[in-house]
Amino acid sequence: MSGGVDSSVAAGLLGEQGHDVVGATLKLWGGVSDSGCCSVADVDDARRVAQTLGIDHHVFNYTDEFNRHVVDPFVRAHLQGTSPNPCIECNRHIKFDVLFERARRLGFDAVATGHHAQVLVRDGVHELARGADESKDQSYVLGYLHEDQLAQLLLPIGAMNKNEVRVHAQRLGLRTWDKPDSQDVCFIEASKGREAFLRQRVALTSAKIVDRASGEVIGETEAAELMTVGQRRGVLPGRDGRKRYVSRVDVAEGLVEVGVLEDVLQSRLGLDESSLSFTHDALVEGDEVLAQWSAHGRAVPATVVREPSWALTLRAPARPVAPGQTVVMYRVDEPSIVVGAAIVARP
Amino acid sequence: MTELLYFDHAASAPRRDEVADAMERWQHGVVGNPSGSHRAARDARRAVEEARDEVAAFVGAKPGGVIFTAGGTESCHLAVVGATLAHRATHSRSVIVTSRVEHDAVLDAARFAAEQFEGVEHRFIDVDADGVVDLESLRGVLDPDVAVVSVMTVNNETGVCQPLDGVSSVTMGTVPGGVSTHSDAVAAAPWLFLPAVTATIDLISICAHKIGGPVNAGALIMRRDVPLIGVVPGGGQERGRRGGTLDVAACVGLAAAVRLTHKELVDVNDRVIDFQHKLCAALSFLPGCAITAPGSRKVPGTVHVTFEGLASDEILFLLDQEGVCASAASSCSSGAAVTSHVLAAMGVPLERARGSLRLSMGPETTDEDVDRLVAVLSSVIYRLHAEASA
Repeated sequence: MSGGVDSSVAAGLLGEQGHDVVGATLKLWGGVSDSGCCSVADVDDARRVAQTLGIDHHVFNYTDEFNRHVVDPFVRAHLQGTSPNPCIECNRHIKFDVLFERARRLGFDAVATGHHAQVLVRDGVHELARGADESKDQSYVLGYLHEDQLAQLLLPIGAMNKNEVRVHAQRLGLRTWDKPDSQDVCFIEASKGREAFLRQRVALTSAKIVDRASGEVIGETEAAELMTVGQRRGVLPGRDGRKRYVSRVDVAEGLVEVGVLEDVLQSRLGLDESSLSFTHDALVEGDEVLAQWSAHGRAVPATVVREPSWALTLRAPARPVAPGQTVVMYRVDEPSIVVGAAIVARP
Repeated sequence: MTELLYFDHAASAPRRDEVADAMERWQHGVVGNPSGSHRAARDARRAVEEARDEVAAFVGAKPGGVIFTAGGTESCHLAVVGATLAHRATHSRSVIVTSRVEHDAVLDAARFAAEQFEGVEHRFIDVDADGVVDLESLRGVLDPDVAVVSVMTVNNETGVCQPLDGVSSVTMGTVPGGVSTHSDAVAAAPWLFLPAVTATIDLISICAHKIGGPVNAGALIMRRDVPLIGVVPGGGQERGRRGGTLDVAACVGLAAAVRLTHKELVDVNDRVIDFQHKLCAALSFLPGCAITAPGSRKVPGTVHVTFEGLASDEILFLLDQEGVCASAASSCSSGAAVTSHVLAAMGVPLERARGSLRLSMGPETTDEDVDRLVAVLSSVIYRLHAEASA
């Protein structure tokens, strides 16, 4: 229970369905925060909601694990010029690993969350599907879940749209019913941003911005680590006045390579083999999927390549995808069903 | 409903009936403002001053030295910040010295003063592996700029007793003219005879709810008239050292609690020390269990242990399911268990500190409670070990 409306309603609905529900709030970030789901005010909200629902509430401290599995890798990845998704790492390593394990040890049958996604059971087989509210769908951040994890997972609000969730919250008398959605990375202060967060921890590298076609230096940046492959914002147009996109970030060399759109489009998405995860069996060469590489991005047709290394061939070339991002694969015949996920490899 | 097995007296002790009875008179109808001059005010003032006499006797000080406060945290804050402000009025530099294992009431007061007031510095006294302050370390941080030295009488997490005589003797012997000393005696009050153990200390903090009294009731007791500037001047109450209308019920409740505690001190110590021995003996057989600070003198009411490879959160959850109220002894503002600064200062490895458990007892604890606790805790620990290896 993050203290937000989704997990509050999830808990309330499960209680109404007759489950013996215990609320748990994870204390993840020990530092300053103004944006996410770890502030004392949010814990207070979660506790008050649990009281309103008449269920027990516990606060579990996972700040060490969160630093180890989410924050430290987030900082390290930037130093390597890659762009990780900390929310996915948090789901993978904290919510669906250490919390699942804890739930099992403590004798719980299932863990429920307020994610907008659905677990479908068909002929005894568990599938992860998109949430009914397309604009809120969070199946992307759950893409790494295996079938055995899905079998232990309940997503009570996945079939609802946000408005229905809020109506339930009001009906249940929850004080969080009109609380705004949290959007930001919980450990980064929205008012200060990622740059301030990184600068407090590491020295950032200045870099030349080089046009890949001409080799010409067209600008400089104070922090190569903050440049993301695919980004256009903050990159000055070239002399020809055309927009430039970041196509490569090399922190060690102090180099950010940019190019015009047609030069940087890519049709091959390399996948980091160690990160590959499938809901059921592994995909094979030539399998068709729909690939999505941002939380609310579009899923586009792609073909699985396994030799010489794992990759996706995109049917339509796309703007470059930052290494470190997660790509979630959905079924072509049933576009709402997740089949697996992987991290985009460095070229 | 599962029957409650309460082993968290150190967090808050059960309210004594005698306390509630004594407070009753002051919680209905006309309760005069003790600062007033009519008969209702005089009645209230008499109750407050009678309470003051009892609190003074409990600590072995003069009634004029008792400053009523709204609890232990405020008492500690007033002592640390008030003594520092008074020192600062006549010095360009003021140093606050505390042990590393103080309650946050003291640590945060010292941090607050160091951050907010120019020329104020906070220095720490190390503790040894048994959680006892290192007097050599104290000697090392003392100099003529020291405004106040604050060392708790008993640690609230581990129950370890601190050598206050040693602290005073080192302080007096090192700084010419001496230094104001403060001791947070909140965790000591249920167990120790404070007139003796705090005899060399200038400022002593106690609170009511650890000894069966109400929360929001405490006192800072000045054994000697050391310089102190009140942090809430308000209406000049408590001789200008703590403004604000006195809560008669709270003062009376505190007095009733100290009266009972004093009366039963020997009996309760006698009885609970047997429980402590029994509990320690039983727990030491559990897998991965280590008794914290086995070599130091502790108050009878606290048994602090760590379980290697287990998490406090999980132990406490399962205990709670069985109706056992216990604590990891350190938690943050969100209510989550956090790694204890006390254990860190003692050099307890993080892996052990994560599996901390404090079981704290009081006058109400019975032999049967202890037996039932041992049975429940054993099954919880074996279960978690079995699940962990499953």
